[in-house]
Amino acid sequence: MSHRLDEIQRWMQAVITHAGGIVPGIESPQARGEIDVDTARVEEVIARSEALSSVERLGVYGNAYFARLLECMRESFPCLVQALGEETFDEFAFGYLQTYPSTSYTLNHLADRFPDYLRETRPDTGDRGGGEVGWPDFIIDLATLELTFEKVFDGPGFEHASILEADDLAAVAPEVWPQVRLRPVPCLRLLAFHFPVNAYFTAFRREEEPEIPGPHREFVAITRRDYVVRRFDLSPAQFALLGKLIEGAQVGEAIEAAAEAFTGTVEELADGLRQWFGEWAAAGFFESLELPD
Amino acid sequence: MAAAESMPELAMKPPRLGHPNLGLGVGLRTVHFSHILRAQPEVDWFEIISENFIDSQGRPRYVLEQIAERYRVVMHGVSMSIGSTDPLDFEYLAKLKRLAGEINAHWISDHLCWTGVAGRNSHDLLPIPFNEETLRHAVERIRIVQDFLERPLVLENPSSYVTFADSTMTEWEFLTRMAEDADCGLLLDVNNVYVSSVNHDFDPHEFVESVPHHRVVQVHLAGHTNCGTHLIDTHDGEVIDPVWELYRKAHRLTGGVSTLLEWDASIPPFEVVHHEVLKAKRHMSEQLETTEAVPRPATPRETAVPHPLHFVAPEVE
Repeated sequence: MSHRLDEIQRWMQAVITHAGGIVPGIESPQARGEIDVDTARVEEVIARSEALSSVERLGVYGNAYFARLLECMRESFPCLVQALGEETFDEFAFGYLQTYPSTSYTLNHLADRFPDYLRETRPDTGDRGGGEVGWPDFIIDLATLELTFEKVFDGPGFEHASILEADDLAAVAPEVWPQVRLRPVPCLRLLAFHFPVNAYFTAFRREEEPEIPGPHREFVAITRRDYVVRRFDLSPAQFALLGKLIEGAQVGEAIEAAAEAFTGTVEELADGLRQWFGEWAAAGFFESLELPD
Repeated sequence: MAAAESMPELAMKPPRLGHPNLGLGVGLRTVHFSHILRAQPEVDWFEIISENFIDSQGRPRYVLEQIAERYRVVMHGVSMSIGSTDPLDFEYLAKLKRLAGEINAHWISDHLCWTGVAGRNSHDLLPIPFNEETLRHAVERIRIVQDFLERPLVLENPSSYVTFADSTMTEWEFLTRMAEDADCGLLLDVNNVYVSSVNHDFDPHEFVESVPHHRVVQVHLAGHTNCGTHLIDTHDGEVIDPVWELYRKAHRLTGGVSTLLEWDASIPPFEVVHHEVLKAKRHMSEQLETTEAVPRPATPRETAVPHPLHFVAPEVE
């Protein structure tokens, strides 16, 4: 009995991507719904070779499917792999790949929903009514950080564009400064974490094999310059300020948000603002500014 | 019938569909970016993995632009899924076409395979049965793609690990009819021919002898892994002697075509990869008496993952 190409393809995909392996794949309702053969009759679809049975031959594709994608996931999250150990990481990634199989022509999107998956499957979801921070937050935070590296690395940047320099900011008249809007470069991302995962990543990069840290709020700006991803630790006030600017708020409004998060004196804030804007301009955070009409 | 009718026209087809013989090239891999930019090695041409660059707005694309300024470049993809029964992805094809124009790619190639159905991508090069239905399907889609890309498509024979009860013809018969009916080019991967011949118990020389040589635009070389009962196309080592033997035959029958070495796992320094493809010079002579036999130890199958695995890791400070 011959089978149509579409039937064969849906059947084969169901078989070789089955989490339980080839035989459970052949016996799965999904595969049987396409081509109704059990394992004993699989030679009606896949011929055997002199050396291997049909099931063994399908196993080459079955083994490769998860092995290949797990390898990609490990490359996307090297620090998380070290933190969890490869076996535990693979368990998370294996579950993820079953829930969110790739639908893109590129492997660059394979991990896009991994932090979402970790949030959706966190074991303590039911008793987090009080907003308690737990170890799942560390995993989610670190996954978010490493995924952001990927997106910033190959996403839009400003290497071929002019950016706002510190002198451009200094040239703005003080009286119009509160009404100015600053347009961030397209690669600038702000992240707020429950755990100091950026510090943890730094220690990982230094091959220090760091201990998993306790919970501690951490604010980070990620950007790219000269095609390399750059990381900047932020204070709560800096995070509030930059967050507002990225939203498109005027500088005055953004400073108000920063003041709420700032714990020092007004003078210290004023000094800090001058220094921060200078540093951020030097780091290439802003593409351009918009003066009030 | 179609093949017979088109014979007079075929006789007038220029070799390689009119494409130049680019010489001996190397598959461009990210681990070699810095070396290539710094050392500017004397390489005839590079083949890129299209999917690593069509969306890139970062370093991969920046490096590619510099390489394309100095070297001749060909685009090789792994996601066209020409054999799938899912609709063709025209957004993807548009990106291929745009990049090909921007880097002046000599041609665009992919594989005679499918990568997924129902919207999914296995990121593997999955085989199709070889029969009249699948031939019509492939030819129709190749024509659509060629019309869209406004250039002939070049399709490669992938390594495969299963054959189908529904196949009614050999792979080389399918490739021949497909290439003639769709008027496309072929990328003859002689390592894949060898891998599949062991896995499917056929004579690899008959394969190489039977494909339409005037349509072979390019040849691929690579290493593979011997798992005892079967071979896996891992692209992780040197080319073995039986594959060089097929290469010599392909070279003789085609009259010489662009030749490229792929190395995708356990990638050594660039010079080692380049040196491997340069060995082809010695094999171009029919009088070559001895060849360097490279033994391939049997390894557990769990350790071998067939290509493709093309992922670009970010650079973070």
